[in-house]
Amino acid sequence: MRRGKLFRNQATVWPYLFALPFVLAYAVFQLFPVGYSFVLSLHDWNGIGEKTFIGLRNYVDLFTKDPLFYKSLFNTIILMLMSLPVMIILGLLMAYMTFNLLKGRRFVQTVNFLPYITTPVAIGFLFSFMFDWQTGTVNELLVRLGWTEEKIYWLQDPFTSRIVIALMIVWRNLGYFMTIYLAGMTAIPQDVYEAAKMDGSTGFHTFRKITMPLLRNITVFLVVTSVINGLQLFDEPKLLYGGWSGSAQVGGPENAALTVIWKFVDDSFISNTQFGYGSAIAYALFMIIIVFSIASYRLTSGKGDRT
Amino acid sequence: MKKTFVWIFLTVISLISLLPFYLMIMMSTYVTEDIFKGLPFLPGDFLLENLKTVFKGNFIQVYVNSILVSVSAVVLSVITSSLIGYAIAKFQFRLKNFLNYFIIVTMMVPTQVGLIGYIIEMRHLGLGNTLWPIILIWMAFPFGAFFMVQFVKDTVPNEIIECARIDGCSEPGIFFRIVMPLIKPGLATLATLVFLWSWNNYLLPLVTINNQSMFTVPIYVSNLGIVHRTDYAARMAALAIATVPVLIVFLLGSRTFIKGITAGAVKG
Repeated sequence: MRRGKLFRNQATVWPYLFALPFVLAYAVFQLFPVGYSFVLSLHDWNGIGEKTFIGLRNYVDLFTKDPLFYKSLFNTIILMLMSLPVMIILGLLMAYMTFNLLKGRRFVQTVNFLPYITTPVAIGFLFSFMFDWQTGTVNELLVRLGWTEEKIYWLQDPFTSRIVIALMIVWRNLGYFMTIYLAGMTAIPQDVYEAAKMDGSTGFHTFRKITMPLLRNITVFLVVTSVINGLQLFDEPKLLYGGWSGSAQVGGPENAALTVIWKFVDDSFISNTQFGYGSAIAYALFMIIIVFSIASYRLTSGKGDRT
Repeated sequence: MKKTFVWIFLTVISLISLLPFYLMIMMSTYVTEDIFKGLPFLPGDFLLENLKTVFKGNFIQVYVNSILVSVSAVVLSVITSSLIGYAIAKFQFRLKNFLNYFIIVTMMVPTQVGLIGYIIEMRHLGLGNTLWPIILIWMAFPFGAFFMVQFVKDTVPNEIIECARIDGCSEPGIFFRIVMPLIKPGLATLATLVFLWSWNNYLLPLVTINNQSMFTVPIYVSNLGIVHRTDYAARMAALAIATVPVLIVFLLGSRTFIKGITAGAVKG
């Protein structure tokens, strides 16, 4: 325990002073607002007039009288289910292929990482242009290739609009998934592969029996963080419907693109200023995020025997 | 055979990754009417005109705002994160474990939960409709603190600190003159991440700022449909100059950036 010896004589104020700026800033700019929002969620308040204390009524209303809340939650989860498996499978596959490249590894990685760092706002815009039924590039391409005769109403139909959003999510995050998997593969010691080779394991067998199990922790990390982020989806659907055509539309066709955070923002700042009710939505989502992240952790890390 | 398949697969996916960027840049070189005449795959010659249209607006102001916000966010978050990181990694004190867990718990609270409270607080402080709310939120960045704890632990040897202490160096002196230079790569990674995330932030400025002169790039971009109502080419040009510089910054620093972004995943 050399460490203890080294630092025995320094029971000073310094560590506290060093930690203070962060702790103070957290208390003022994050902890206080979180607490204050909870207090607000127990009130009926439009941001200007008097606050009326109504106990848990906002929460009761949210869960019993607001079908749109369930709809938005359903949309958010559907969009997650549509995109997450694709990103995991494609990301792993691409990482595996790129890992075994002799040349151009960094190039492939960098190119595919570009969408991840692009402002989501711009992505929403670009996609709403590309998938516009009349002038969009995608329809133009499909017609020219002769794959469809009539142009598709991508953004006007609940089902296809969800496909476009899921596509946006996959397009944006694929490079990230691939990079994380690639980093995990690099971290696997080479002698594990050599031992496998000695035992006569090759190619896909090695990948399935050695690489994939060793990457389990990374998959858990990706799934859990994606579930947390996915439940907070907002930028992409909002911008897909938020003004390329000049007129902002809430929720997309039949509210198929309305996510929980979009509903939260809309109810508290845009269509309405129900700060109390909005805070209740935020807290409800927070609880749902906790439940889902624990569930997804159990689901991904618990299956099979872990080493 | 197998090799060819791998190359085709990777090339196709990479092309799909690049296609929207390519279309964006190509379309910004056309006259609006020509965009719809066919597939915009070859460059036109109207780029300069489109750029002129874009810069007629308050685009420069918007850019300055965004840079101001991101640079301040980087400075603030890097300072507070590395200070608390150093304290937790290299000192033995009573609240050490508590603070360590505190950081991990704070990482899990989504910022949206406190959003309404934060806005009301900012209004009461008289900071509504300024750039302050979108800067100050970065002063306590839990991921940054977590990252710095790990980084200082891994890279700064105890012996160096102890030597400096014996030589009579003051505690702040140790931090600024000895620890800071040693953790430069970590600082660079964190700075890139914060720069990017604060640059791309959309929700917070959307609900705190409604004054045109305070717009940041994402808010500006989201209003393009209103600014250039019929001029699609100008919108594309604006979109291009709003995104391309960030992509270039990334390309220049892609190595540290990717290292930073994978650090949390591979270790954890």
